[in-house]
Amino acid sequence: MNKEELINGYFEGSLSESQLAEVENLCETDTDFATDFEFQKELQQSLKKDDRLEIKQLFSGLNNQAAQAEPKVIRMRTWLAAAAIALLVGLGSWLFLLNGSDVNTDDLYAANFTPYDNVVHPIERGNELEDLQTQMFAAYEAKDYELWLQLTEQLTTKQKDGYIDFYGGIVQMALGNHEKAIPLLQGYIDADGELKDRATWYLALAHLKLGAIKSAEIELAKLVQMGSFKTKAAEDLLKALD
Amino acid sequence: MTDEQLIAQLKQRDKKALATIYMEYKTEFFKFASRYNAKNELLEDVYQDALIVLYENAMVGKLDHLKSSVKTYLFGTGKFMLFKHFRDSKKEIIADEDYIFDKYETAVMEDVFDDEGPNEYQRQLVTNFKKLGEKCREILELFYVQGMKLDEIRIEQGYENKDVVKSQKSRCLKSLKNLIHNKDE
Repeated sequence: MNKEELINGYFEGSLSESQLAEVENLCETDTDFATDFEFQKELQQSLKKDDRLEIKQLFSGLNNQAAQAEPKVIRMRTWLAAAAIALLVGLGSWLFLLNGSDVNTDDLYAANFTPYDNVVHPIERGNELEDLQTQMFAAYEAKDYELWLQLTEQLTTKQKDGYIDFYGGIVQMALGNHEKAIPLLQGYIDADGELKDRATWYLALAHLKLGAIKSAEIELAKLVQMGSFKTKAAEDLLKALD
Repeated sequence: MTDEQLIAQLKQRDKKALATIYMEYKTEFFKFASRYNAKNELLEDVYQDALIVLYENAMVGKLDHLKSSVKTYLFGTGKFMLFKHFRDSKKEIIADEDYIFDKYETAVMEDVFDDEGPNEYQRQLVTNFKKLGEKCREILELFYVQGMKLDEIRIEQGYENKDVVKSQKSRCLKSLKNLIHNKDE
């Protein structure tokens, strides 16, 4: 068995005891072998860790969704509850007086939201739409967002290009499911997607629509700082929210 | 969705299946683990780690002939990892085994438990990895992440023979090294 086969066998888990000993021995005596072996181990570790990060982001996205969907049940002593309610009422009316009357997030949202053009997956008319992603973007361009969602179901992770989450987020927004859009857009931004600035814009709008003004402002500020997309619009929105 | 379907999806690295399992058993897991008197943040960490272990072991085929349910496997993993936390903080708990894990599965648990996220070099490796062509990324991920043997990759990807897969893999590694090297200069 040559050195390359030894290394491959190691990762396949198919080496015998004596072959494993040989790997160990070569690691100490053969610098080239050791470098190559270590590089591959490092690559494996890096890819796994990256995968794990992605999974943890997915979970925290799910938690955020759940937190928005159902209010937490908190057990409190009665007097504490009463005090809290009093505080909430006070705070609520204060917030209402301060923000409620002059900021209409729905209007601001409506004035700013339009689905982003398909710039990633050109569709040649007349061609047969055999590829799943081509079908998806054809549906997207036709504004058939329900169809897009149905097709997404069939898409396995392996086939999925990063920008699917970006467009998926916009689809959810167009369908009014803003809480579903947030983890998709956030995931795309965290993965450093090429249209990150665009995604930040839509993320800000999704927060806006859900009335999360603070979160919207944070995203808009990031966008202004990037300075590559909708800078002016983001600045205007920030002013309107102020 | 049945357990078999979920496992089949996990093997395809389908994270949606993972999300389904996460939501399905979360409340029950927290209830189950409440008797160990752990804080909620710790339980959340343990639960997430247990799912990652489940995912990684399913991917390499460890759940192919699962005799119990996905839930039993998940909770057994969660318990194992919870005990590891306690052992590290010197609290003693006597384990009753619901599921017997083999050496490989335990090693995955240890690895996930010890994982503190990628270091600078590993992050750089991943960044450069993502610059590789799709074919390269695919073959390397199948080999290193999904734990497929070269022969299995040959069948799945329809390569002519094992040598072609082997040289393709080594070419891809070389491109990756070049990408990293160029960045250093």
